[in-house]
Amino acid sequence: MVREVPLWLKVAAGIFLAGMTLLLLGPLVVVLGVSVSESQFIAFPPQGLSLKWYAQVFGDARYLVSFRQSLVLALIVTGLASLFGGASAIAIHRRAIPGAGILATIFLSPLILPTIIYAVGMLMFWSATFGAVSFLTLVIGHTVICIPYVLRTTLAVLSESDPYLEEAARTMGAGRLARLWFVVLPQCLPGLAAGMFFAFNISFDEAVLSLFLRQPDLTTLPVRVYGQLEFSPDPSVAAVSSIMIGVTVLLLLLADRILGLKRFSEG
Amino acid sequence: MTDRRENLLLLAPGLALLALAFILPIFRMLALSVQGEDGLTGAHFARFLGDPFYLGVLWRTVRLSLLITLICAVLGFPFAYIMARARPRLRTLLLIIVILPLMTSVVVRTFGWMVILSRNGILPEMLRDLGLAGRSFQLMRTETAIVLGMVQVLMPFMVLSILGVLARLDQRLEEAARTMGCSFLGALRHVVLPLSMPGIAVGAVLCFTLSASSFVTPNLLGGTRVQMLAASIYRAVTQTLDWNFAAAQSVILLVGILLVMAPYIVSQGRRHG
Repeated sequence: MVREVPLWLKVAAGIFLAGMTLLLLGPLVVVLGVSVSESQFIAFPPQGLSLKWYAQVFGDARYLVSFRQSLVLALIVTGLASLFGGASAIAIHRRAIPGAGILATIFLSPLILPTIIYAVGMLMFWSATFGAVSFLTLVIGHTVICIPYVLRTTLAVLSESDPYLEEAARTMGAGRLARLWFVVLPQCLPGLAAGMFFAFNISFDEAVLSLFLRQPDLTTLPVRVYGQLEFSPDPSVAAVSSIMIGVTVLLLLLADRILGLKRFSEG
Repeated sequence: MTDRRENLLLLAPGLALLALAFILPIFRMLALSVQGEDGLTGAHFARFLGDPFYLGVLWRTVRLSLLITLICAVLGFPFAYIMARARPRLRTLLLIIVILPLMTSVVVRTFGWMVILSRNGILPEMLRDLGLAGRSFQLMRTETAIVLGMVQVLMPFMVLSILGVLARLDQRLEEAARTMGCSFLGALRHVVLPLSMPGIAVGAVLCFTLSASSFVTPNLLGGTRVQMLAASIYRAVTQTLDWNFAAAQSVILLVGILLVMAPYIVSQGRRHG
């Protein structure tokens, strides 16, 4: 008979879990708290309760421009990354090309290389080749960073799929495009969807590449917040940050609804 | 059209994008790091390696990254273990506690730490009230602030890496040790811990490389006085506009990270090869 876990250990585990929760969620709770404070200064615990900082954010053209830029950027990047990553995943999965394993490694390398190194390279390369950095630069850079996530989730789903389905479709006379569209794509879909959630989340929250490629008229939301933090933060930054937390929570709920949290965390 | 051509067509756009927008920029950076007034030069590297200030930045980067990795492993292992053995509802809750911060922008999380650690923030105030710190006690712009912030930022990577291994671990191994008379902690120490080493190793490599190359959190919590390598690169790019020097520092960071990852990559290659 296995002895039970001793009581003192259970109590210790409880205290430990509480401490870890405080460590992991504390900063987020503090940001949410500051955003509803009445005080002119950043203070936690909040003094009073007011939504005036949110009103200020929604009346501030700079925040709105940044928010729109981040949203458009994330949507375009999500589309491009799923297109490029998905198509590559299908080809790599079929292993029809020699060196498919090496190919996968090459495609995943942006995941291993620290973003700051890529950001330095991209800024230098773009400036030397095309001149001033633009929105397009950011779209391309974010797409490169996001492709590995889509590739990985799609490959994972494909490796569990039935390889004979496509053969069956072929014997039944389905053409290449029809097979891709009606057989392979539906098989990819769960992985593709998970990858898209990652891509949107990463692009929307990404700060390092966006900071290095920052231009006066090209300031995504994280970069706007970063700039405020470096100079003169007031509680309106907390309101913007809280909205960003809100977007994350929304995305998580959506991912859980569509895919289930379990698959999502395994990606 | 052959199968081969179809696959090549599927692969071509991604490969082209990667070659043009990823490989080329990296090579551009490598080239700039050795480019001088007239031809090749090692001057940018010599400048970094000959200056006590930059050597100090490098040493701080290595030292803090090691400390952050160690703390993440020590706290992350028991957390991942409890997650793996918890009832489904508690496990889901803990999973959310880990994933929500992971998915929140690093800028936002660092802001939270700035509030907590500021002069009148909760943590310094508490330490002062407990009499553990003097009136002029500061946490912002210290190495402690960087470590605290980075541990929170990187903890999810460690926990999820270990959880991946623990979830696949045969629970009967542990039960066998217990029936043989091993205490709970003994089984944890002699059975579970050795078997979760692959997960801890992956998590440690991730934590170390991410913290050594991290920019936002160390720069905002440490300021200009307590610089880490990434902040120094950013300064060379945006403030002193010395791109050759920035490229050289990036190469040093890249080489360091590749050295740390080399054993992991080799073992992965063996497994797949």
